[in-house]
Amino acid sequence: MTIGVTARGVLGLSMAVALVASAAACSKDSAEPAAGGGGTGSVGVDLPRADSDFWNAYASYITPKAGEVGVELTAQTNSQNDIQKVISNVDSLVTQGAKALVIAPQDTGAIGPKLDELAQKKIPVVSVDTRPDNGSVYMVVRADNRAYGTKACEFLGEKLGGRGKVIEFQGALSSINGRDRSEAFKECMTTKFPGITVFEEPTEWEGSKAQAALETRLSTDPDIKGVYMQAGGVFLDPTLQVLKQRKLLVPPTDPRHIFIVSNDGIPQELDAIRKGEIDATVSQPADAYAQYGLYWARQAMEGVTPKEGPTDHGSSVIKLPNGYEDQLPAPLITKDNVDDPALWGNKK
Amino acid sequence: MSETLAVGAPEAPQRPPRPTGRPSKRLRLARLRDLALVPPIIALLIYGYTLKPDVFLTKSYLVDTVLKYQTELALVVLAEALVLIVGKFDLSLESVVGIAPAVAVFLVVGQTSMLGAPWPTWTVLPVALAFGALIGVFNGLLVVRFKLSAFIVTLAMLIALRGLQLAIVGGATISNLANRIPTIDNLGSLRILTVPLSIWIVVVAFAVGVVVLGYTRFGRSIYAVGGNADAARAAGIRVERVIWVTFIVAGALAALAGLMLSARLGSVAANQGNGMIFTVFAAAVIGGISLDGGKGSLVGALTGVVLLGLIQNVLTLAQVKPDQIQAVNGLVILVALVLARLTSGKAQD
Repeated sequence: MTIGVTARGVLGLSMAVALVASAAACSKDSAEPAAGGGGTGSVGVDLPRADSDFWNAYASYITPKAGEVGVELTAQTNSQNDIQKVISNVDSLVTQGAKALVIAPQDTGAIGPKLDELAQKKIPVVSVDTRPDNGSVYMVVRADNRAYGTKACEFLGEKLGGRGKVIEFQGALSSINGRDRSEAFKECMTTKFPGITVFEEPTEWEGSKAQAALETRLSTDPDIKGVYMQAGGVFLDPTLQVLKQRKLLVPPTDPRHIFIVSNDGIPQELDAIRKGEIDATVSQPADAYAQYGLYWARQAMEGVTPKEGPTDHGSSVIKLPNGYEDQLPAPLITKDNVDDPALWGNKK
Repeated sequence: MSETLAVGAPEAPQRPPRPTGRPSKRLRLARLRDLALVPPIIALLIYGYTLKPDVFLTKSYLVDTVLKYQTELALVVLAEALVLIVGKFDLSLESVVGIAPAVAVFLVVGQTSMLGAPWPTWTVLPVALAFGALIGVFNGLLVVRFKLSAFIVTLAMLIALRGLQLAIVGGATISNLANRIPTIDNLGSLRILTVPLSIWIVVVAFAVGVVVLGYTRFGRSIYAVGGNADAARAAGIRVERVIWVTFIVAGALAALAGLMLSARLGSVAANQGNGMIFTVFAAAVIGGISLDGGKGSLVGALTGVVLLGLIQNVLTLAQVKPDQIQAVNGLVILVALVLARLTSGKAQD
């Protein structure tokens, strides 16, 4: 009989979950675009999440860049890393009169049908940061995430002289960007630096998990000489804490130095590079994401068809099966160029 | 319902005293249940030893790479165990782990002049604890006074507090704390007799918990209320107050856990504690805390934490592939449960 009560508890939990899930699913019903909602040609922006430094930086660029590019914003929504919320937010933005959308769907598989539906309504979509697996998009604006992994691998490989052990904090494997970085890093390590042993640590983007993994590895393999973290925001402080406690935060000239390369390019990482705590990061251009996301939204509303090849802003456009992609450059930042005023992490 | 619970709660003290012989036997059974997880823990230790014989069973390895990383979880499990024993749920604890340190740290180093900020750095600890306790007061108010379901109330609080934290810090990670706040630095790196301070905190917290639950009137009344609230009331226990106080203590414990986590990480991440409640429930229930209330021991809950921590660590050591680690994790937990069931010979509930 006690089991009966427990089962009721479990049932309650699953019912609550189902309730939440169905509430989200309800919003799938497509909304009709409102006639003349927000004047002529405003752009709706959906932000993917509110709890990461990178995306907050991106969010903070949206309004000023909209002014620069010369587009009106319908509204900004936030989908909190939930594909169902992306879909309902998109409907809401369209209802509010958006004539073009700038979104960043983190689940690249599930957004396809919605993209096709929007294409039928003649609402162009710019996808920032991720490339949807299917469904037509006007333009994908992203830096090549595979290049992040490759650049990190090349940097570590050179610094270590092609030998030794490195630890890699992987993001969530369910995210396309985490996967791209992991795969490219692994590919580069096996082909170019076969003498380097890589410990791949899954972290689900959680600093705590990365820290536990680092501590374990440093105990079993004290000769680890390199760290690749796939995001600066969540892994930076936890990593530095461990190294500080183990007295391993020493300058690169010291043989005990552990080389650290990161991804993101947020201001905290640049500070850490200046202080010599980490060695390099790949800057993911938050400002350019916002600027060119909105820029292409404007081009779309003006009826411009994108052309393949180099652009006027140092990137190149390639053709995809379901649209085009503007591949923005993502520079490697080391001590040599950390003070470059053009880096978004140095602005503000 | 109350009958069911009374039957399933042999420790509830509303029972009349038994004839001789029974209590000691009951005690033995209860002790056995506390130790049900010891065999799987030993199995994991042996497996870990075969993976890395040179380091695994050393004190520094077990302390610094296994136990240190379970201290926050242990405190939240202690909090949840108390709430479960009193017969309620508190899902909001995982959000308290995030918001309590966020608020306390924000008032000290945040870019704000709200409430006379910046506050002196020593306020971090008391503010975090007070904030956690305050959330306990609020949860208790809704559950005890307004007679709302604890499950739904704290589920709503979980969401609301997470949102509030995002709103307060603007979604950003508050970083570089160790250099700016001495309390945080000490919590994260101070050692007493070569063992990290956080482990001592857990040891003391559990010791106090065991003594209070086992040997004080208040502790016994927690079991009584969880076992059968009506009977407890009839026996003269102030049921509402016991529940309320438990929520407050749980909130404060979760806040302390949050501060310790921030100290370890040197930052308050905007999603700190997110998703933690599943692990908390897993550890508590594996450790023998009943979801029906009135049953379970803190020592058992602690073995649950140690078991989960060991599994995590051994999987890292074994270099299980990243895309398979979650599946393997779940499977190992199941095997551990079966092993515990076989060795203790007692039906689990």
